[in-house]
Amino acid sequence: MPPVPRTTAAVRAEALLRELPQLRRGHVPREAPGRWPSGLASLDRLLGGGFPRGRLSEITGPASSGRTSLALALLAATTDAGEYAAVVDAIDAFDPASAAAARVDLERTLWVRARDCREGLLAAHVILKGGGFGLVLLDLSFSSASSGAGSHAACASWLRLARAATASQTAVVVVSDARVAGGQADVVLELRAGRPQFSGRPPLLEGLESQATAVRNRSGPIGGSTALRFQLPP
Amino acid sequence: MRVACLRVADLALVAELRAHPELAGQPLAIAAGAGPRAELVAVSPEAQRVGLRPGTTVVHGRAACADLAVRVASPALERAAREALVDAALSASPRAVPASPGTGAWKSEACVFLDASGVDTLFHSESGFAGALCERARRLGLPAAAAVAGSREVAQLAVRSLGEPGAVRVIPPGAEAAFLAPLPLDLLDPDDRLAQALLRFGVRRLGQLAALPRRALAARLGSEAVRLATLAQGEGSPLALPVPVTTRIEEALDLEHAIDRLEPLGFVLRGVLSRLATRLAVRGLACGDLELCLDLDGGGRDARRVGVAAPTDDARVLLRLVGLALESHPPGAAVEALAVACEGRPVRRDQLDLFRPAGPAPAVLGRTLAELESLCGEGRVGAPAPLDDHRPDAFEVRPFAAGARAPGGVRSPRRHALAVRVLRPPAPAHVQLDAAGRPTRVESAAARGDVVAAAGPWRTSGGWWSRERRFALDHYDVQTEDGNVVRLRHDALARRWSIDAVYD
Repeated sequence: MPPVPRTTAAVRAEALLRELPQLRRGHVPREAPGRWPSGLASLDRLLGGGFPRGRLSEITGPASSGRTSLALALLAATTDAGEYAAVVDAIDAFDPASAAAARVDLERTLWVRARDCREGLLAAHVILKGGGFGLVLLDLSFSSASSGAGSHAACASWLRLARAATASQTAVVVVSDARVAGGQADVVLELRAGRPQFSGRPPLLEGLESQATAVRNRSGPIGGSTALRFQLPP
Repeated sequence: MRVACLRVADLALVAELRAHPELAGQPLAIAAGAGPRAELVAVSPEAQRVGLRPGTTVVHGRAACADLAVRVASPALERAAREALVDAALSASPRAVPASPGTGAWKSEACVFLDASGVDTLFHSESGFAGALCERARRLGLPAAAAVAGSREVAQLAVRSLGEPGAVRVIPPGAEAAFLAPLPLDLLDPDDRLAQALLRFGVRRLGQLAALPRRALAARLGSEAVRLATLAQGEGSPLALPVPVTTRIEEALDLEHAIDRLEPLGFVLRGVLSRLATRLAVRGLACGDLELCLDLDGGGRDARRVGVAAPTDDARVLLRLVGLALESHPPGAAVEALAVACEGRPVRRDQLDLFRPAGPAPAVLGRTLAELESLCGEGRVGAPAPLDDHRPDAFEVRPFAAGARAPGGVRSPRRHALAVRVLRPPAPAHVQLDAAGRPTRVESAAARGDVVAAAGPWRTSGGWWSRERRFALDHYDVQTEDGNVVRLRHDALARRWSIDAVYD
């Protein structure tokens, strides 16, 4: 007799039966956070589904490594899913035209033009406290805050931000030159300097290739890397 | 047509208690002015129990009652209380109009007439309607009585005949004359000369006045006596009640002592905004943008507009918004009086989508946006929008609002676009060129080194009709030795090189 295929409900029921004895003893299993897919299939596979909701994530890398393009892809995926997103721009570098080209729904995007890193952190906290946003993108690239690891912003601020993210179930993604959130980040994605693609005669810039490595991932696979390719919109 | 009259007996006293509810139950008197010789214009029942009456001076009042709290009559408070009474009426009927101010013995009352036609279906009966009116007025801090009759005048006489706040009376159609007949003549408020003349004739009741022959009455006592006799007979004016055209709501407060710090001012504002929010809630409206007007010590005035992103009737949200506005731009001197006004907006209930995330709650979003504006500055928070303009980095920041249209329909597959980071302002660059005028080396804070690859120039120009707005730019996409890919810009008018964006 051929084996009967198991339905999703059956798999869930089996998992529940396995957990039941522990639940009776008062143990509550830690629920894995939901994920925001970035829309880049290879990267989502690398991270185990995308960037975690209710957690702090970091995208780090030097200039022209594709951080901003990746952040806008995530923003586009978020707003495309009907969520509201916020961009806290600590150095006033956000380009609405690039965001529109990346198909970000700008009507569902709140842009906060903070004047420095401290203001940016405070603004992100205010947004998380208010709630209702699926993604908060905190851009600290090129800022003085991004020049060293952990020393520029008090650890307490990152702890507060991480807790606020958990309370509001919002994915907080920090874009910076180097790691800034220390141990508070659940996911750290490191991008290496990109390889621009010029082609044709006369030459035209067509896009940028970059390599992303998951150097930290608390609730997913770690250590893998993948190539990302971003094309210049026509 | 049926008309209801909602009446507050002692407006000055009620207005004071509405603003300072902590004074309820204490001996309280309202003085006409400042100083010990000022006359008391209203006294609370507790003060009346120790023998105080209107007309007594403040110094005598204090001698009679050591615990007497004396407040100077505030026109601003009385105006707000009168308007609140109209709000209570408008919450139950679409047509309402305040009665003209009373005179003589009825000088201190405030009345509102409202259309009571066809209220049975909503309130089961006219007495139920009158009871609901009293309840709504009570919610606004106004102890009021109500009566329903066939005309404004009869309704007003009926409500004047009621003693206690909260009492109601309904005069059935055709029973006006019978109802009015035993009521005392004082209810009509005749002037002293006419009252004495009628008393000499032995006329003490409305029924007696109504029974007098009109021609003889006119010949002996004049036209005013005829008018009163007509009223006493239960005949009223047939004027229709108007529909109010404005939804503006205003609350004000005169401070006894000028306040020069924000914290105590916040306590005062809490009460004012709470009264404003209650009036909005009773009328089923929400607060649009707030107008805050502060009268300052020394004669100055600080008027400002506080934006409310999403209409709300939550007093805490309004207080937070006003608090943030005051913190960012504190008033220049101590505050002596304040007024808060807003345009009532229809309450917007969000229709939640079964399959879409709810997004930020409008009221909370308003507070969040106000906090962000207070933190980052005006015009730095909103929804980004690129402008249809050839000038590079042309954008605007539009007001952000929850409830933006949900994305839908079939969308083409997303391509992962290469984005730029804009440098505002552009970073100045020193550029070396080859014989063909193409960049070969760049020295700048954003990129440095020999040019590895370059594309361009891409020429844009425009605004030629205006000296201030004209531009002529050549852009190059350049990869430098240090690995950066930047957008190099040559301003042909200013003959300057700079980097205005970094590909990232």
